[in-house]
Amino acid sequence: MTTNELTLEFKNHLITYLNLLDISIDDIKDDEPLFGGDLGLDSIDSVELIVLLDREYGIKIKNPADGRQILVDVNTIVAYIEENRTK
Amino acid sequence: MYVIDQQAISAQKTHDLSFEKGDYAIYSAATLPIVEPAYAEFIPLNLLRRMGKAVKMGIAAALPIVNRNQKVDGIIIGTANGGLENCIDFLNQIVAYDEGVLTPTNFVQSTPNALAGQLALMTKNTGYNSTHVNGSLSFENALVDAKLFFEATTNKTSLLVGSVEEISSYNYHIDLLSGRYKKEIISNDQLIQSNTEGSICGEGASFFLLSNSPEHAVAEIVDTTQIIHPSTADLTVLMNAFFEKNQLSMDAIDLILLGKNGDNRLDFWYDDFHQIFPATPAINFKQLTGDYRTISGFATYLGVQILNGKINGAHPAFNTEFPTNCNHILIYNHFDGIRHGFILIKKGTR
Repeated sequence: MTTNELTLEFKNHLITYLNLLDISIDDIKDDEPLFGGDLGLDSIDSVELIVLLDREYGIKIKNPADGRQILVDVNTIVAYIEENRTK
Repeated sequence: MYVIDQQAISAQKTHDLSFEKGDYAIYSAATLPIVEPAYAEFIPLNLLRRMGKAVKMGIAAALPIVNRNQKVDGIIIGTANGGLENCIDFLNQIVAYDEGVLTPTNFVQSTPNALAGQLALMTKNTGYNSTHVNGSLSFENALVDAKLFFEATTNKTSLLVGSVEEISSYNYHIDLLSGRYKKEIISNDQLIQSNTEGSICGEGASFFLLSNSPEHAVAEIVDTTQIIHPSTADLTVLMNAFFEKNQLSMDAIDLILLGKNGDNRLDFWYDDFHQIFPATPAINFKQLTGDYRTISGFATYLGVQILNGKINGAHPAFNTEFPTNCNHILIYNHFDGIRHGFILIKKGTR
Protein backbone atom coordinates (compact mmCIF):
# COMPACT_ATOMS: atom_id res chain seq x y z
CA MET A 1 0.00 0.00 0.00
CA THR A 2 1.38 3.40 -0.95
CA THR A 3 1.40 6.34 1.45
CA ASN A 4 -1.35 8.00 -0.56
CA GLU A 5 -3.51 4.88 -0.38
CA LEU A 6 -2.88 4.56 3.36
CA THR A 7 -3.74 8.23 3.88
CA LEU A 8 -7.03 7.74 2.05
CA GLU A 9 -7.82 4.61 4.02
CA PHE A 10 -6.99 6.30 7.34
CA LYS A 11 -9.22 9.27 6.55
CA ASN A 12 -12.07 6.89 5.81
CA HIS A 13 -11.52 5.18 9.16
CA LEU A 14 -11.33 8.59 10.84
CA ILE A 15 -14.74 9.59 9.49
CA THR A 16 -16.28 6.26 10.43
CA TYR A 17 -14.81 5.88 13.93
CA LEU A 18 -15.50 9.48 14.93
CA ASN A 19 -18.82 9.61 13.03
CA LEU A 20 -17.83 12.96 11.53
CA LEU A 21 -21.07 14.34 10.12
CA ASP A 22 -21.07 16.41 6.95
CA ILE A 23 -17.30 15.91 6.53
CA SER A 24 -15.79 14.19 3.49
CA ILE A 25 -12.26 12.96 2.87
CA ASP A 26 -11.54 16.11 0.89
CA ASP A 27 -12.39 18.25 3.93
CA ILE A 28 -9.59 16.70 5.98
CA LYS A 29 -6.24 18.26 5.12
CA ASP A 30 -3.14 16.15 5.66
CA ASP A 31 -1.29 18.81 7.64
CA GLU A 32 -4.23 20.33 9.52
CA PRO A 33 -4.05 19.87 13.32
CA LEU A 34 -6.68 17.31 14.32
CA PHE A 35 -7.16 18.91 17.72
CA GLY A 36 -7.89 22.61 18.03
CA GLY A 37 -8.52 22.93 14.29
CA ASP A 38 -11.63 23.06 12.12
CA LEU A 39 -12.47 19.41 12.78
CA GLY A 40 -13.17 20.25 16.41
CA LEU A 41 -11.89 16.97 17.86
CA ASP A 42 -11.60 16.61 21.64
CA SER A 43 -10.17 14.28 24.27
CA ILE A 44 -12.78 11.56 23.73
CA ASP A 45 -11.81 11.56 20.04
CA SER A 46 -8.18 10.99 21.03
CA VAL A 47 -9.26 7.79 22.79
CA GLU A 48 -11.29 6.81 19.73
CA LEU A 49 -8.17 7.37 17.59
CA ILE A 50 -6.13 5.09 19.85
CA VAL A 51 -8.82 2.42 19.46
CA LEU A 52 -8.76 2.95 15.67
CA LEU A 53 -4.98 2.43 15.51
CA ASP A 54 -5.24 -0.71 17.64
CA ARG A 55 -8.08 -2.32 15.71
CA GLU A 56 -7.14 -1.41 12.16
CA TYR A 57 -3.34 -1.46 12.30
CA GLY A 58 -2.45 -3.44 15.44
CA ILE A 59 -0.71 -0.44 17.01
CA LYS A 60 -0.94 0.00 20.78
CA ILE A 61 -0.17 3.43 22.19
CA LYS A 62 0.34 2.92 25.90
CA ASN A 63 2.21 6.10 26.83
CA PRO A 64 0.02 9.27 26.69
CA ALA A 65 3.16 11.34 25.94
CA ASP A 66 3.67 9.28 22.77
CA GLY A 67 0.09 9.98 21.78
CA ARG A 68 0.69 13.74 21.87
CA GLN A 69 3.55 13.29 19.39
CA ILE A 70 1.66 10.94 17.09
CA LEU A 71 -1.89 12.27 17.02
CA VAL A 72 -0.98 15.68 15.61
CA ASP A 73 -2.31 15.55 12.06
CA VAL A 74 -3.00 13.00 9.33
CA ASN A 75 0.62 13.13 8.11
CA THR A 76 2.12 12.26 11.52
CA ILE A 77 -0.36 9.46 12.11
CA VAL A 78 0.11 7.92 8.67
CA ALA A 79 3.91 8.06 9.10
CA TYR A 80 3.59 6.32 12.46
CA ILE A 81 1.30 3.65 10.98
CA GLU A 82 3.77 2.92 8.16
CA GLU A 83 6.58 2.40 10.67
CA ASN A 84 4.71 0.50 13.37
CA ARG A 85 1.76 -1.38 11.91
CA THR A 86 1.51 -5.07 12.76
CA LYS A 87 -1.38 -5.82 10.44
CA MET B 1 -47.15 20.48 40.77
CA TYR B 2 -47.98 22.31 37.59
CA VAL B 3 -47.19 21.85 33.90
CA ILE B 4 -45.95 25.10 32.40
CA ASP B 5 -44.83 23.77 29.03
CA GLN B 6 -44.44 20.47 27.22
CA GLN B 7 -43.06 18.90 24.04
CA ALA B 8 -43.20 15.40 22.59
CA ILE B 9 -41.29 13.50 19.93
CA SER B 10 -43.32 10.51 18.77
CA ALA B 11 -44.39 8.42 15.80
CA GLN B 12 -46.96 11.15 15.23
CA LYS B 13 -45.96 14.64 14.14
CA THR B 14 -46.19 16.04 17.65
CA HIS B 15 -42.85 17.88 17.36
CA ASP B 16 -44.39 20.53 15.07
CA LEU B 17 -47.99 20.15 16.35
CA SER B 18 -49.21 18.74 13.01
CA PHE B 19 -50.77 15.90 15.00
CA GLU B 20 -52.78 18.37 17.05
CA LYS B 21 -54.09 19.87 13.79
CA GLY B 22 -55.52 16.51 12.75
CA ASP B 23 -52.59 14.80 11.00
CA TYR B 24 -52.86 11.12 12.00
CA ALA B 25 -49.87 9.13 10.72
CA ILE B 26 -50.74 5.53 9.88
CA TYR B 27 -48.03 2.95 9.30
CA SER B 28 -48.02 -0.74 8.48
CA ALA B 29 -44.81 -1.86 10.14
CA ALA B 30 -43.46 -4.08 12.88
CA THR B 31 -42.13 -1.07 14.76
CA LEU B 32 -43.23 2.55 15.05
CA PRO B 33 -40.13 4.75 15.03
CA ILE B 34 -40.45 8.42 15.87
CA VAL B 35 -40.83 11.13 13.24
CA GLU B 36 -37.34 12.55 13.58
CA PRO B 37 -37.03 16.32 13.74
CA ALA B 38 -34.10 18.12 12.09
CA TYR B 39 -31.67 17.47 14.95
CA ALA B 40 -29.05 19.82 13.56
CA GLU B 41 -31.40 22.71 14.34
CA PHE B 42 -31.17 21.83 18.04
CA ILE B 43 -27.80 20.18 18.46
CA PRO B 44 -24.30 21.27 17.30
CA LEU B 45 -22.86 18.76 14.82
CA ASN B 46 -19.79 18.02 16.95
CA LEU B 47 -22.13 16.85 19.74
CA LEU B 48 -24.70 15.24 17.45
CA ARG B 49 -22.15 12.84 15.94
CA ARG B 50 -21.73 11.04 19.26
CA MET B 51 -25.34 10.82 20.31
CA GLY B 52 -27.47 7.72 20.23
CA LYS B 53 -31.13 7.98 19.27
CA ALA B 54 -32.47 8.17 22.84
CA VAL B 55 -30.21 11.10 23.66
CA LYS B 56 -30.98 12.86 20.37
CA MET B 57 -34.74 12.58 20.67
CA GLY B 58 -34.62 13.53 24.34
CA ILE B 59 -32.68 16.67 23.60
CA ALA B 60 -34.94 17.50 20.66
CA ALA B 61 -37.93 17.29 23.01
CA ALA B 62 -36.31 19.08 25.95
CA LEU B 63 -34.34 21.94 24.41
CA PRO B 64 -37.31 23.79 22.86
CA ILE B 65 -38.87 23.89 26.34
CA VAL B 66 -35.69 25.31 27.86
CA ASN B 67 -35.40 27.85 25.03
CA ARG B 68 -38.99 28.98 25.49
CA ASN B 69 -38.78 29.27 29.27
CA GLN B 70 -35.15 29.81 30.29
CA LYS B 71 -35.46 29.13 34.03
CA VAL B 72 -34.90 25.47 34.87
CA ASP B 73 -33.71 24.53 38.35
CA GLY B 74 -33.17 20.82 37.80
CA ILE B 75 -33.55 17.87 35.44
CA ILE B 76 -35.33 14.58 36.20
CA ILE B 77 -35.70 11.83 33.61
CA GLY B 78 -37.41 8.47 33.60
CA THR B 79 -36.20 5.79 31.19
CA ALA B 80 -36.42 2.02 31.34
CA ASN B 81 -33.49 1.30 29.07
CA GLY B 82 -31.75 4.56 28.09
CA GLY B 83 -29.47 4.28 25.07
CA LEU B 84 -30.10 0.61 24.47
CA GLU B 85 -28.63 0.43 20.96
CA ASN B 86 -25.31 1.86 22.18
CA CYS B 87 -25.40 -0.50 25.13
CA ILE B 88 -25.76 -3.51 22.81
CA ASP B 89 -22.96 -2.15 20.56
CA PHE B 90 -20.72 -1.79 23.60
CA LEU B 91 -21.44 -5.32 24.83
CA ASN B 92 -20.83 -6.70 21.33
CA GLN B 93 -17.49 -4.90 21.26
CA ILE B 94 -16.46 -6.57 24.51
CA VAL B 95 -17.03 -9.93 22.85
CA ALA B 96 -15.66 -9.03 19.40
CA TYR B 97 -12.43 -7.54 20.76
CA ASP B 98 -11.96 -10.09 23.52
CA GLU B 99 -12.33 -7.54 26.33
CA GLY B 100 -9.54 -5.48 24.74
CA VAL B 101 -9.52 -1.80 23.81
CA LEU B 102 -13.07 -0.44 23.66
CA THR B 103 -14.40 2.83 22.28
CA PRO B 104 -15.63 5.21 24.99
CA THR B 105 -18.49 6.74 23.00
CA ASN B 106 -20.76 3.67 23.01
CA PHE B 107 -20.27 3.30 26.75
CA VAL B 108 -20.84 6.98 27.52
CA GLN B 109 -23.98 7.10 25.40
CA SER B 110 -25.39 3.82 26.67
CA THR B 111 -25.74 4.84 30.31
CA PRO B 112 -29.34 5.77 31.16
CA ASN B 113 -28.25 9.10 32.67
CA ALA B 114 -26.38 10.18 29.50
CA LEU B 115 -29.38 12.28 28.45
CA ALA B 116 -29.76 14.11 31.77
CA GLY B 117 -26.02 14.78 31.81
CA GLN B 118 -25.94 16.00 28.22
CA LEU B 119 -28.94 18.26 28.83
CA ALA B 120 -27.23 19.73 31.89
CA LEU B 121 -24.09 20.42 29.88
CA MET B 122 -25.92 21.95 26.93
CA THR B 123 -28.11 24.19 29.11
CA LYS B 124 -25.33 24.89 31.66
CA ASN B 125 -27.63 23.62 34.38
CA THR B 126 -25.81 22.81 37.63
CA GLY B 127 -28.96 22.03 39.61
CA TYR B 128 -30.53 18.76 40.71
CA ASN B 129 -29.96 16.04 38.13
CA SER B 130 -31.48 12.60 38.43
CA THR B 131 -32.46 9.67 36.22
CA HIS B 132 -34.95 7.03 37.31
CA VAL B 133 -34.55 3.58 35.80
CA ASN B 134 -37.47 1.56 37.10
CA GLY B 135 -38.79 -0.28 34.08
CA SER B 136 -42.25 0.77 32.99
CA LEU B 137 -42.75 2.92 36.11
CA SER B 138 -39.70 5.09 35.44
CA PHE B 139 -41.72 8.13 34.39
CA GLU B 140 -44.13 7.79 37.31
CA ASN B 141 -41.13 7.66 39.66
CA ALA B 142 -39.62 10.73 37.99
CA LEU B 143 -42.89 12.50 38.82
CA VAL B 144 -42.70 11.31 42.44
CA ASP B 145 -39.13 12.67 42.62
CA ALA B 146 -40.30 16.02 41.22
CA LYS B 147 -43.12 16.17 43.75
CA LEU B 148 -40.70 15.49 46.61
CA PHE B 149 -38.33 18.13 45.23
CA PHE B 150 -41.09 20.74 45.19
CA GLU B 151 -42.23 19.81 48.69
CA ALA B 152 -38.72 20.45 49.95
CA THR B 153 -38.60 24.01 48.65
CA THR B 154 -40.66 27.12 49.31
CA ASN B 155 -39.20 29.23 46.50
CA LYS B 156 -40.76 29.30 43.04
CA THR B 157 -38.96 26.46 41.34
CA SER B 158 -39.11 24.72 37.97
CA LEU B 159 -37.94 21.31 36.86
CA LEU B 160 -37.46 19.78 33.44
CA VAL B 161 -39.04 16.33 33.73
CA GLY B 162 -39.27 13.82 30.92
CA SER B 163 -39.34 10.27 29.64
CA VAL B 164 -37.46 8.67 26.77
CA GLU B 165 -37.24 5.23 25.18
CA GLU B 166 -35.67 4.05 21.93
CA ILE B 167 -36.25 0.97 19.80
CA SER B 168 -33.22 -1.30 19.82
CA SER B 169 -33.07 -3.75 16.96
CA TYR B 170 -31.47 -6.44 19.14
CA ASN B 171 -33.96 -6.15 21.99
CA TYR B 172 -36.89 -5.84 19.62
CA HIS B 173 -36.06 -9.26 18.25
CA ILE B 174 -35.65 -10.76 21.72
CA ASP B 175 -39.00 -9.29 22.77
CA LEU B 176 -40.55 -10.50 19.52
CA LEU B 177 -39.42 -14.05 20.31
CA SER B 178 -40.84 -13.74 23.82
CA GLY B 179 -44.24 -12.87 22.32
CA ARG B 180 -44.35 -9.24 23.40
CA TYR B 181 -44.86 -8.01 19.83
CA LYS B 182 -47.17 -9.20 17.09
CA LYS B 183 -45.87 -11.68 14.56
CA GLU B 184 -48.16 -10.26 11.90
CA ILE B 185 -47.85 -6.77 10.43
CA ILE B 186 -50.86 -4.59 11.07
CA SER B 187 -51.41 -0.87 10.72
CA ASN B 188 -51.32 1.13 13.93
CA ASP B 189 -54.91 2.35 13.50
CA GLN B 190 -55.99 -1.31 13.76
CA LEU B 191 -53.86 -2.05 16.84
CA ILE B 192 -56.45 -1.85 19.60
CA GLN B 193 -59.06 -4.04 17.87
CA SER B 194 -56.48 -6.48 16.42
CA ASN B 195 -57.41 -9.19 18.98
CA THR B 196 -54.17 -11.14 18.60
CA GLU B 197 -51.20 -11.69 20.87
CA GLY B 198 -48.59 -8.99 21.33
CA SER B 199 -48.41 -5.31 20.45
CA ILE B 200 -46.36 -3.00 18.19
CA CYS B 201 -42.99 -1.80 19.41
CA GLY B 202 -42.69 1.96 19.75
CA GLU B 203 -40.42 4.69 21.06
CA GLY B 204 -40.59 8.36 22.01
CA ALA B 205 -39.60 11.25 24.23
CA SER B 206 -41.93 13.53 26.19
CA PHE B 207 -40.77 16.45 28.29
CA PHE B 208 -42.46 18.87 30.67
CA LEU B 209 -41.51 22.03 32.47
CA LEU B 210 -43.00 21.54 35.92
CA SER B 211 -43.32 24.22 38.57
CA ASN B 212 -44.54 24.47 42.14
CA SER B 213 -46.39 27.67 41.15
CA PRO B 214 -49.76 27.59 39.34
CA GLU B 215 -48.88 30.78 37.48
CA HIS B 216 -49.15 30.23 33.67
CA ALA B 217 -49.87 26.52 34.18
CA VAL B 218 -51.45 24.61 31.30
CA ALA B 219 -52.23 21.72 33.66
CA GLU B 220 -51.67 20.35 37.13
CA ILE B 221 -50.25 16.92 37.82
CA VAL B 222 -52.38 16.23 40.86
CA ASP B 223 -50.95 12.88 41.88
CA THR B 224 -49.52 9.58 40.71
CA THR B 225 -49.64 6.12 42.18
CA GLN B 226 -48.53 2.64 41.22
CA ILE B 227 -48.97 -0.99 42.10
CA ILE B 228 -47.05 -4.14 41.17
CA HIS B 229 -48.56 -7.62 40.64
CA PRO B 230 -52.10 -6.60 41.65
CA SER B 231 -55.34 -8.48 41.18
CA THR B 232 -58.11 -6.60 39.39
CA ALA B 233 -59.83 -6.26 42.78
CA ASP B 234 -56.70 -4.56 44.10
CA LEU B 235 -57.16 -1.82 41.49
CA THR B 236 -60.56 -0.92 42.93
CA VAL B 237 -59.11 -0.71 46.44
CA LEU B 238 -56.20 1.36 45.15
CA MET B 239 -58.45 3.80 43.28
CA ASN B 240 -60.74 4.26 46.28
CA ALA B 241 -57.72 5.16 48.43
CA PHE B 242 -56.21 7.34 45.67
CA PHE B 243 -59.35 9.44 45.26
CA GLU B 244 -59.90 9.69 49.01
CA LYS B 245 -56.33 10.89 49.47
CA ASN B 246 -56.85 13.55 46.79
CA GLN B 247 -60.27 14.49 48.21
CA LEU B 248 -61.86 13.98 44.82
CA SER B 249 -64.99 12.16 43.77
CA MET B 250 -64.54 9.53 41.08
CA ASP B 251 -67.37 11.27 39.24
CA ALA B 252 -65.06 14.26 38.78
CA ILE B 253 -63.04 12.38 36.16
CA ASP B 254 -64.10 13.60 32.71
CA LEU B 255 -61.97 11.25 30.64
CA ILE B 256 -59.76 8.19 31.15
CA LEU B 257 -56.72 7.48 28.96
CA LEU B 258 -56.21 3.73 28.75
CA GLY B 259 -52.98 2.07 27.69
CA LYS B 260 -54.58 -0.73 25.67
CA ASN B 261 -51.93 -2.16 23.37
CA GLY B 262 -53.91 -4.65 21.30
CA ASP B 263 -52.54 -7.70 23.13
CA ASN B 264 -55.57 -9.93 23.66
CA ARG B 265 -53.89 -11.58 26.65
CA LEU B 266 -53.56 -8.33 28.62
CA ASP B 267 -56.13 -5.74 27.57
CA PHE B 268 -58.74 -7.16 29.97
CA TRP B 269 -56.99 -5.12 32.67
CA TYR B 270 -58.23 -1.94 31.04
CA ASP B 271 -61.78 -3.22 30.55
CA ASP B 272 -61.92 -4.25 34.21
CA PHE B 273 -60.43 -0.93 35.30
CA HIS B 274 -62.97 1.00 33.25
CA GLN B 275 -65.73 -0.73 35.23
CA ILE B 276 -64.59 1.29 38.27
CA PHE B 277 -65.68 4.39 36.31
CA PRO B 278 -68.56 3.02 34.23
CA ALA B 279 -70.04 6.41 33.29
CA THR B 280 -66.74 8.03 32.31
CA PRO B 281 -65.66 8.03 28.65
CA ALA B 282 -62.29 6.46 27.85
CA ILE B 283 -59.93 6.64 24.91
CA ASN B 284 -56.83 4.68 23.97
CA PHE B 285 -53.48 6.13 22.93
CA LYS B 286 -51.08 3.33 21.94
CA GLN B 287 -52.49 3.28 18.40
CA LEU B 288 -50.53 6.52 18.01
CA THR B 289 -47.11 5.33 19.09
CA GLY B 290 -47.03 1.58 19.67
CA ASP B 291 -46.03 0.36 23.12
CA TYR B 292 -42.91 1.13 25.13
CA ARG B 293 -42.07 1.18 28.78
CA THR B 294 -42.22 4.91 29.49
CA ILE B 295 -45.19 5.70 27.29
CA SER B 296 -47.04 7.18 30.29
CA GLY B 297 -44.98 10.32 29.55
CA PHE B 298 -46.60 10.53 26.12
CA ALA B 299 -50.03 9.82 27.65
CA THR B 300 -49.49 12.75 30.01
CA TYR B 301 -48.54 14.98 27.04
CA LEU B 302 -51.72 13.87 25.25
CA GLY B 303 -53.85 14.43 28.34
CA VAL B 304 -52.52 17.97 28.78
CA GLN B 305 -53.28 18.74 25.13
CA ILE B 306 -56.85 17.48 25.61
CA LEU B 307 -57.28 19.53 28.81
CA ASN B 308 -56.26 22.59 26.82
CA GLY B 309 -58.66 21.89 23.98
CA LYS B 310 -55.90 21.26 21.44
CA ILE B 311 -57.21 17.75 20.76
CA ASN B 312 -60.84 16.68 20.87
CA GLY B 313 -62.88 13.61 20.10
CA ALA B 314 -63.26 14.56 16.44
CA HIS B 315 -59.53 14.00 15.89
CA PRO B 316 -59.16 11.13 13.37
CA ALA B 317 -56.97 9.21 15.84
CA PHE B 318 -59.89 8.94 18.28
CA ASN B 319 -63.08 9.61 16.35
CA THR B 320 -65.20 9.30 19.45
CA GLU B 321 -67.15 11.60 21.68
CA PHE B 322 -65.70 12.92 24.88
CA PRO B 323 -66.25 16.18 26.76
CA THR B 324 -64.79 19.20 25.00
CA ASN B 325 -64.17 20.91 28.33
CA CYS B 326 -62.34 18.34 30.45
CA ASN B 327 -61.16 19.33 33.92
CA HIS B 328 -59.78 16.03 35.21
CA ILE B 329 -58.15 13.21 33.25
CA LEU B 330 -56.96 9.91 34.71
CA ILE B 331 -54.21 7.97 32.92
CA TYR B 332 -53.87 4.22 33.47
CA ASN B 333 -51.11 2.16 31.95
CA HIS B 334 -49.50 -1.18 32.68
CA PHE B 335 -46.70 -3.19 31.10
CA ASP B 336 -47.02 -6.98 30.88
CA GLY B 337 -49.79 -6.82 33.48
CA ILE B 338 -47.13 -6.51 36.18
CA ARG B 339 -46.36 -2.85 36.82
CA HIS B 340 -49.42 -0.58 36.83
CA GLY B 341 -49.15 3.22 36.91
CA PHE B 342 -51.79 5.94 37.37
CA ILE B 343 -51.46 9.68 36.78
CA LEU B 344 -54.17 12.20 37.64
CA ILE B 345 -54.03 15.52 35.81
CA LYS B 346 -56.20 18.62 36.02
CA LYS B 347 -56.77 21.65 33.83
CA GLY B 348 -54.42 24.56 34.57
CA THR B 349 -55.03 28.25 35.13
CA ARG B 350 -53.68 29.55 31.83
